[in-house]
Amino acid sequence: MNKATTKLLTELRKDGDFNATACINCGTCTGLCPHGLDILPRELFRYVILGLEDKVEANIETIYSCLLCKMCEANCPGDVNITANIRTLRNYINRKHFKI
Amino acid sequence: MLNRRIGVFICHCGGNISDYVDVEEVRKSVENSPGVVLSKKHMFTCSDAAQTEMMKDVLDEKLDGLVIASCSPKLHLHTFRSMSERAGLNPYRYVQVNIREQCSWAHTDNMRGATKKAIALVEAGIAKSCLMPSLSTIRVETVPKALIIGAGIAGLRSALSLARLGIHAYLIEREEQPGGWVGNLGELFPQGKKGPSLIDSLLEQVRREEGITLFTGTELLEKSGNIGNFTVKLKTGQSDTISLNVGAIIVTTGFDTYAPQKTEYGFNDTNVITLAEYERCLQEGTGEIQYNGHTVKRVAYIYCVGSRQKTSESCPSPNTQCSRYCCTSAIHAAILTHKRDATVGQYHLYRDIRTYGKYELLYDEALNLGSIFLRFDAATPPTVHTDGQLRVNVHDTLTRGEEIEIDADLVVLVTGMVPRENKKLVNILKLPIGKDGFFNEIHPKLRPVETVIDGVFIAGTCQSPKTISESVASALSAVSKTAGLLKRGYVELEPLVAMVDADRCVWCDECTKACPYGAIQKVEHNGKEVAEIIPVLCKGEGACVPVCPKDALDVEGYTDHQITAMIDAFSKEMAK
Repeated sequence: MNKATTKLLTELRKDGDFNATACINCGTCTGLCPHGLDILPRELFRYVILGLEDKVEANIETIYSCLLCKMCEANCPGDVNITANIRTLRNYINRKHFKI
Repeated sequence: MLNRRIGVFICHCGGNISDYVDVEEVRKSVENSPGVVLSKKHMFTCSDAAQTEMMKDVLDEKLDGLVIASCSPKLHLHTFRSMSERAGLNPYRYVQVNIREQCSWAHTDNMRGATKKAIALVEAGIAKSCLMPSLSTIRVETVPKALIIGAGIAGLRSALSLARLGIHAYLIEREEQPGGWVGNLGELFPQGKKGPSLIDSLLEQVRREEGITLFTGTELLEKSGNIGNFTVKLKTGQSDTISLNVGAIIVTTGFDTYAPQKTEYGFNDTNVITLAEYERCLQEGTGEIQYNGHTVKRVAYIYCVGSRQKTSESCPSPNTQCSRYCCTSAIHAAILTHKRDATVGQYHLYRDIRTYGKYELLYDEALNLGSIFLRFDAATPPTVHTDGQLRVNVHDTLTRGEEIEIDADLVVLVTGMVPRENKKLVNILKLPIGKDGFFNEIHPKLRPVETVIDGVFIAGTCQSPKTISESVASALSAVSKTAGLLKRGYVELEPLVAMVDADRCVWCDECTKACPYGAIQKVEHNGKEVAEIIPVLCKGEGACVPVCPKDALDVEGYTDHQITAMIDAFSKEMAK
């Protein structure tokens, strides 16, 4: 069972303005990704805002594959700071998962 | 009959008619029919040029009857009636024959048949025209006063505007306290003003206005009379009654909120509440939100409860409508929550978010403040578990349909509006009710506050779910229709009403039972009791005619004599 909590979101917001809740789920980002990372960033952010940590951990490879090219961010109608959010997420994973 | 001078005009309607009906053949077939002195064709009879020519023909040929074979009378009956009038011909001596919808459009596969049918219909029209007398509209003087039923926000706003237009408003309210639902609401979107303060400021103005009489604890008992001049009997207090004369009635009786079933989304649990209850809770205290003695840190909203339902075994008579205000209202409550305590986690379980127009900004604000939206499919609604920790399970279509479980301190059911049952009032006013249970307007776009009962208007949420601003807009619309009616001082009604042959009538009372408008009364005539039509109440629908055992009733414009002549003319032509 996927239990929704706000723990992860609260934790991330200590590091920066993680504004993925502003996402309107249009899917523009997924469609535009030159890398074809289908889970990035919309679905990944769903896992984050719902606090589903195991789903986030299962996708660490993908999170680090992002080029931070901002193709998605420049076209996001919800003004989500996608690349900044990914950096914040990487920081969190570095600390929590890789202990660095 | 042959001394009539009737003109017949056949319309091509561009090609709409002439592509499938041989218009020239129709013209030739009827040119020598009894009473016809002139027959012509026009490309568009409704065009200004054609109307000018036809008017000239009416004058030059001294026509005393007119038949135009064109489109449906729904489209151009009034166009041509008014043209007749301008040519000095009584407008009721004009007969419209519909050879477009009934011939050319209906029989595109059979031109011969369409033409034959058109000829027959025109013949019938000519036969009717031969028997059409000159008639004048029924003129009724109007009383410059109005009755408004229901002193909620729509009723209060209507009363104020009517009074300022110089029409006295009798505003009646069943409850002891005016103000309706809005009087009990907390902070309202979009400006954040509170319900009671909005109502208080209106009531203050109402009290100062001389042109308004407000009756609380008052119900409508009876209504008689007709558009422009109704007599209404009111019950004020326990046993007092008063009678008033009014020219129009505006119904602003409002809605009821949907009451969830005990088992619906765990509603029997004390921590599963409606949006209205949560909004009241938000009005109390500051900082952390308390409900039922505990601090609220996780709220799950379930949208569309009791709205947009589909027929099913458990829901045989569904509320199919979207209630319009609830998405915005729930999101507004969420914003208030975020602002009081930023650490509260808020989960919105929705089907579609409808914060339309300017309210979209509120949705944006809620998203940015951290509200989390999960979308469910109507076929798989969320489930609420009240055993142990209160929790909601939902298949979130935005997360690949995965099942998500949310622990909540409070589950808020975003309930919509349902029509308020008011059988007594419906009975007294004969208000038309739509399939959805709300009162019905004549036309949703073009005549949104008028009902089929002349002089009775509907406004606000008794007509359909609305936000407060929409309710007020419709109230003001009803005001302008009422003022438009009463300011002129009189109304003109169709003279195509029933009539009684007093010599034949034996007063058996069958016709009064058949009449849905109460337009027939008993009178003395030459020492016997007979039926009499009250022309201003009669709609000319003819329910009384076939039930009369003595054939004493007829409807003007559709008399037995005319109908028989039309059938004869029609079948004579068809037999050819």
